[in-house]
Amino acid sequence: MSLKETFSQISPSEFFYRNRDLAGFSNPTRSLYTAVREFVENALDACDQRGILPDVHLIIKAVDPEKPDPKPYILTVKDNGPGMDSKQIPLAFGTVLYGSKFGLKQARGMFGLGATMAILYGQITTNKPVVVSSSVDGKDSHEYSMMLDIQKNKPVIMKHTTKETGKKGLNVSITLEGDYSKAGAKIRDYVYQTSLITPYATITFDDPKGEKFHYKRIVDTMPSPPTIIKPHPHGVDVETIRRMIVDTHYEIPTLDNAMIEKVRKELGLAKKNLNFEGIMQRAEKKWASLSRPVRVIIALMSFLQMDFDKVMKIRIDDVDLANKHLTYWDFGESKSVMVDMPKSSQYYKQLANTVAGESLVTFLTKRFQRIGPSTANKFAEFASLKPEKRIGSFTNDELVQLSDSLQKYEDFLSPDPTCLAPLGEEPLRKGIQQFFKPDFFDVIQRSASAYSGFPFVVEMGIAYGGEIPSGKINVFRFANRIPLLYDEGSDVVLQVVNETDWGRYKIKNDSPLVIVSHICSTRIPYKTVGKENVADRPEIEKELKLALQFLLRKLSAYMSKRGLAEAEKKRSNLYQKYLPLIAQFATELAGKSKEPDYKKMIKDLGTNVEAKE
Amino acid sequence: MSKPKNNAEKVATAKRDSLMELLKMEGAKIYNDLEKGQFPQFYVPSRSVSNIVYDKKLRQYILGKAAGLRSSRNMAQLRSFTQLIWLAFFANRLIQEKKSSTLRDIYYSSQAFAIDFEDQPESDNIIVDLEAVLARPREDLHIFPEERSSVFGDLTIEYTVPGYEGRRTNLSDHPDGYLIGPSLSTAELVDTSAELVIAIEKGGLFTRFVEEKVDKKFKAIIIDTAGQAPRSTRNLLKRLNTQMKLPVVILTDGDVYGEHIAMVIKSGSANAAHLRELTVPDAKWVGVWASDIEKYKLPTIPMTESDIKRIYDLQKDPRYQEGIWKKELEIFLKIKRKAELEAFSKYGLTNITDKYLPEKLELAKSM
Repeated sequence: MSLKETFSQISPSEFFYRNRDLAGFSNPTRSLYTAVREFVENALDACDQRGILPDVHLIIKAVDPEKPDPKPYILTVKDNGPGMDSKQIPLAFGTVLYGSKFGLKQARGMFGLGATMAILYGQITTNKPVVVSSSVDGKDSHEYSMMLDIQKNKPVIMKHTTKETGKKGLNVSITLEGDYSKAGAKIRDYVYQTSLITPYATITFDDPKGEKFHYKRIVDTMPSPPTIIKPHPHGVDVETIRRMIVDTHYEIPTLDNAMIEKVRKELGLAKKNLNFEGIMQRAEKKWASLSRPVRVIIALMSFLQMDFDKVMKIRIDDVDLANKHLTYWDFGESKSVMVDMPKSSQYYKQLANTVAGESLVTFLTKRFQRIGPSTANKFAEFASLKPEKRIGSFTNDELVQLSDSLQKYEDFLSPDPTCLAPLGEEPLRKGIQQFFKPDFFDVIQRSASAYSGFPFVVEMGIAYGGEIPSGKINVFRFANRIPLLYDEGSDVVLQVVNETDWGRYKIKNDSPLVIVSHICSTRIPYKTVGKENVADRPEIEKELKLALQFLLRKLSAYMSKRGLAEAEKKRSNLYQKYLPLIAQFATELAGKSKEPDYKKMIKDLGTNVEAKE
Repeated sequence: MSKPKNNAEKVATAKRDSLMELLKMEGAKIYNDLEKGQFPQFYVPSRSVSNIVYDKKLRQYILGKAAGLRSSRNMAQLRSFTQLIWLAFFANRLIQEKKSSTLRDIYYSSQAFAIDFEDQPESDNIIVDLEAVLARPREDLHIFPEERSSVFGDLTIEYTVPGYEGRRTNLSDHPDGYLIGPSLSTAELVDTSAELVIAIEKGGLFTRFVEEKVDKKFKAIIIDTAGQAPRSTRNLLKRLNTQMKLPVVILTDGDVYGEHIAMVIKSGSANAAHLRELTVPDAKWVGVWASDIEKYKLPTIPMTESDIKRIYDLQKDPRYQEGIWKKELEIFLKIKRKAELEAFSKYGLTNITDKYLPEKLELAKSM
């Protein structure tokens, strides 16, 4: 009996539908929380990128408030960001993976992915469309009502209207199955903590029970936006190198009308037609001034021996350097044709280089951060690879060798931290002061460090006394300006806090104390896919420890100073109470009528009295 | 054996005057310090265990030479310093106004002067401090404990308390006996026909003794110590012994605590090591001894763990190293049983006064 298997492609939408647990949409409670996060973070990221002070409004409303949880909710997030071009909206919100290509810089999330998952989840649970309205100019607003075609990974636009508006920004609204009675506490915590770490934003939350949470902007300056940078050699693996190589390949230009126009223009043949030989002669004369794509087309034509008219009727299918031939599809004849590419031809190298991509040295200097030609050459020697070898011609073994050597080579400069966007000491300071109204607080931003080729910066704040309740030390954990609310038990920050020897700083571990920890990195080493706890990398642990120790020393100094002042005051009070009594009793005992002059003694207390027991 | 009245008054007045002079001196010292801008201070004799020693010559516990400085310069001592001077001030008023107060009174009186004692033990402790500083018992400062024991017998006293000055009473006039309170403690002892003082540990037996006319039969003044004898009672015993020249015998329960009640009357307690005039070194403990339990075939009860522990503790005390004190302790430890004074009732209610007491008093003469 033979077994017939069918393999069918699935669309990205379908893939995520099948794997929605991974993205945080496992149940109505978690899903509502995740959806809130995705939309709020998108809104904040959009404003950050354009340097706009964010004003984010989150509204959750039950479709039918009488129904018991879980039930459908309408989740709306409005921002004052740059908005999105009307044409891009269907693709951005109606397909999975659109715009999720990421450069190496710190951001809260990868744009699009999570939000699309939320939209997808809403559609699956309530069969209601997502409503997106956007205005890029603050005049016209485009509103789309649409659903996702999961099979085809395509948006289905149900309604598109345009109307006038007075405000720029994006407004996304979905209907989804949620459980606010269970998720509410987490969502409120999330909004509260997000406001703490984003003191330059105004965040408003209207909850389904009619409560309003309003966190007004505390600072008016935004942290400088991060720059997109290339990866550090220590931070890449073989798979990443493979993907980078694909990126570095020069594409064989498509032989379409536009391309041919470009070739003709550069050869000065815009209005003039020449035969094949004529074109080749003209190309040879003008070679130095030709752009790379045009040179590639000329090289192809030299092997094809075709003029413009003929070239426009074919499609290049393969450039096979190993067997030195070229395959194309002839539309006119409807057949595949193969021609030789003699290595002796002056155009062979042009084509070979195009296919094989950059040399190792160019690859290293152009694709990685902080590598110059001399470092690249030294590295090539270290890795026993030829510096001029084209990266596209590397065998599998050579790629592994390259990858291993990149990890092992120790003379690379440390990662460039300009891609990081820590909050900064001043906004953090103001946020902590405003939020906790403490008696004492201080913050520190450690200088940038790196683990496995990824730069990171630790920011930490501490607040003591004031309106903070005693009992348990409260630790607020943030990573890339996102609050981490779940799985705190195994987190590196908690680990560092728990290992602290409080006695050394004369601080009781039930003090009214708040610790705010913010780790910024191009890649936060999360322990789990849920992205709620940070793994204990030794480099990160060390920075956290140093930051905490610095702040605790400050707190300790404050406490002893306060202790002294309190003792001083207590002492003064004590003498003001007791000395007059002593004088009164002694006067009667001694049989005098006038009390002794003891007032001067109270004045001189500071110098006269021993504080010790 | 009468004393001239004016002599007794003279003694009392002299004692009072010297105490007031002492208080005035302490007050003046503090006054002058303050006037000079200096922090006043006291030296308070240390009452810690290491400073309590047994004086063989005086035959009582006394304080050694160690003294602690109580200075108003020291913040931690400021409060107790103020409490101490307040107490001196308050005692001075009591003496001047001839009023008496109790330990509990002191605790409450302090509140009128914004002197905050946390509890009565704290004020009691300050009273003992002042006793040590002045080397005078609190009774001299007109401060008396609540605990009161009784006295009965042919003893004429003359009151010195305000309103009763010069009035005389005979302590055999009331069959329940007279409370040994402030007025009795400060009264002058005028006359007695008694030849003996019998101190007895229990009120029940005291009443029996009065009923059985022990005072007449044995020419005795009977005193109920009501357990461990209060200071006023010990002071009265001392005065009866020294001023009226009466021997003192002590009857207690037949257990280790009874033995120690007798010892405290004889040679004082560690708690009052800072005071003299409270001991009757010639007092005799006549029973109930451990050896009497067997001899008189008394019903007994077994000793408890703490009884036995108390025996081991007392065996370390220098006063229990000889004579009946040592011997009886050893017998108690051997038999591990004890008998109460009431145990004699097994042989009739008057057995103790008819038989046991005469035998013991006879024996006491040879002790």
